[in-house]
Amino acid sequence: MAAAGASGGQTIGRSSFSRVAVSTAASSSTSAGVKLGPNGATFVSSGIPDLDRILGGGFLLGSVVMVMEDSDAPHHLLLLRSFMAQGVVHKQPLLFAGPMKEPRLFLGTLPAPVASSKEDGRQRVMGAGTSSDGRTSDEALRIAWQYKKYFGEDKTSHAEHKDNKQEFSNDFDLRKPLERHLLSSQNIECISTQDGDTLGELQDRCSTFLSKHLRKDGGNLIAGRIAIQSLCAPQCGYFEKDWDMVSFIRSLKAMVRSSNAVAVITFPNAILSSSFCKRWQHLADTLLSIKAIPDEDKDLAKLLTGYQDMVGFLHVHKVAQTNSQVPVILEASTFSLKLRKRRSLVLERLNQAPVDGSAGPSHAASASCSSSSQGSQLDF
Amino acid sequence: MAEAAVRYLRDGRLEGEHAPALSVSGSLQCCPLAARAMLHVTAALASQAASGKSQARGLVIVAFDRSPEVYLDFMRRRGLDPNTFNRCVRILDCYSDPIGWKQKIQSQQHQESSVEPCSMDKENVTIFRSVKDVDKLMCSIIDLGRGFEGEGKIYFTIAIESISSMLKHASVSSISGLLSNLRSHDQTSSIFWLIHSDLHEPKFSRAFECLSTMVASVEPAVVDSVYEEEIPGNMSFLEKNYSNAKFYVRLKRRNGRVKHLYEELCVEGNDVKFISSPSVSAEVNQNLLPKVGLYISSSI
Repeated sequence: MAAAGASGGQTIGRSSFSRVAVSTAASSSTSAGVKLGPNGATFVSSGIPDLDRILGGGFLLGSVVMVMEDSDAPHHLLLLRSFMAQGVVHKQPLLFAGPMKEPRLFLGTLPAPVASSKEDGRQRVMGAGTSSDGRTSDEALRIAWQYKKYFGEDKTSHAEHKDNKQEFSNDFDLRKPLERHLLSSQNIECISTQDGDTLGELQDRCSTFLSKHLRKDGGNLIAGRIAIQSLCAPQCGYFEKDWDMVSFIRSLKAMVRSSNAVAVITFPNAILSSSFCKRWQHLADTLLSIKAIPDEDKDLAKLLTGYQDMVGFLHVHKVAQTNSQVPVILEASTFSLKLRKRRSLVLERLNQAPVDGSAGPSHAASASCSSSSQGSQLDF
Repeated sequence: MAEAAVRYLRDGRLEGEHAPALSVSGSLQCCPLAARAMLHVTAALASQAASGKSQARGLVIVAFDRSPEVYLDFMRRRGLDPNTFNRCVRILDCYSDPIGWKQKIQSQQHQESSVEPCSMDKENVTIFRSVKDVDKLMCSIIDLGRGFEGEGKIYFTIAIESISSMLKHASVSSISGLLSNLRSHDQTSSIFWLIHSDLHEPKFSRAFECLSTMVASVEPAVVDSVYEEEIPGNMSFLEKNYSNAKFYVRLKRRNGRVKHLYEELCVEGNDVKFISSPSVSAEVNQNLLPKVGLYISSSI
């Protein structure tokens, strides 16, 4: 009875309940790149496998994901690029809107998927277990407070899961651009938000895109992606029309909810007034934020392990949930962004050194408190 | 550090990226010092361009706040001779007659346009009379930049002084559009501007910070902790704040990390000096550190 509990691989406990393993095999009515989840949820990948895992499967179809940018760091572009590249690789229809004269040029910066190799597989299994320079002997003495690093990652046989994972989500090599022939497909559209004074044109384009490509009748489930960069950027003509922007997001949310699409919107929240910022945050189904990290900061280097490799922080404020009253509560909501081998993006939980090494039982508290204290001090 | 800022702008843009942009912002209490810092950076970049050490061949100054002679004067005192000045610097004069009224008045009165106020040689000064038309302003800036001589691809640096004056005539979105278009223009090596952050809504000042890759803020040296501003009538405060200020630089690096630098700015006569002061940088770090100790004690 005790052993029966571990069938899903999700619980290590001893209960007689067993979690039904989520079927990751693509059924005949779904296409590649779409995964079914509990409660009738359908997921598409965000392009970053770690983020999919953190959000419980990926981006929920029919939801609006909003990312709060940090004006000091361009990491929201990494998220957007991975999201768009994943859609292109899976041949899903894509609409991109950006505050530049030539949004098509942004497509040239999309990364190509990493050619999978055994070494990558091994790296994944080891995960955050070893520090980047492999100083495990040093770490051995401080392992007690870093115990969370060694649990929680996928302990089940990684090889078989890897194949399924490759179909659903890819690791992207940020140094290699995506092949041109993939980008010249018919179902990739671009629109510039810099011209024009109103959001009417963008709204019309979104609605035609959604009705053209995605109908919820029978047949193959094609998932669509809408990516909007810096919706309230100062160079957009509608920048000062706060209420227009809010009603655009509301109507986009309604359009997306009744279609098989995910919309990812990034916005520099420092530019909005605080009351409107609250409204935007409230409208999001999934809310993430990026925070820049100061360079060559000795104090942070002492407090955080792996500080040298970090390029920023990602904070998860809200995760979309459908057909359920149960909210998603994450164990940790602040993650560090790292570039593994300088090419693929990984998200790791923060491992914060205890200030006072002698405090025993408070380490567990500190691991979770640290993420919230990080949050409050660093103004997430 | 001011030298770091100048070097960063001097090195210019990399292939495939937008030009680096520096935003110098000052509050009203120390706005003359912010303007001086801006002048210092302008002169430094002009001399770098003149000696061929920078990616840019020349500097285009879009002058809203000062008359062109001020620049010539300052740079001459810095050691840049007038010939080099003419070769490497072009000034778009938006100060003398920004909306074309003087011209209208003169033509209405049918007076012969007698000697122009600036009697210096005008080959590198172009008077611009329609500052409300941001597209025309952009074309004029680019035309001036293309006018520099040299072989191969000609890069130029743009200095805008100041954005606060531009905002009197045009909207935030049109000026932001201008700045981002200039940054993405393939002949721009770097761009920097001055903004008085107190004069605008905080979200507009932040919008311009968003557009930059490096932010230098000039803050008053002495601030009264009780009133958080100068005690009126107290001369020592005024004197200190008119000649000293704190110069914070926030550099957004390409890998997404932010470098914080700090110096003290001293103005003595016509000279602007920057003194590095490592002791205060710890203060900057203190604010960024999460106060873990506090939380642990309260959770036990």
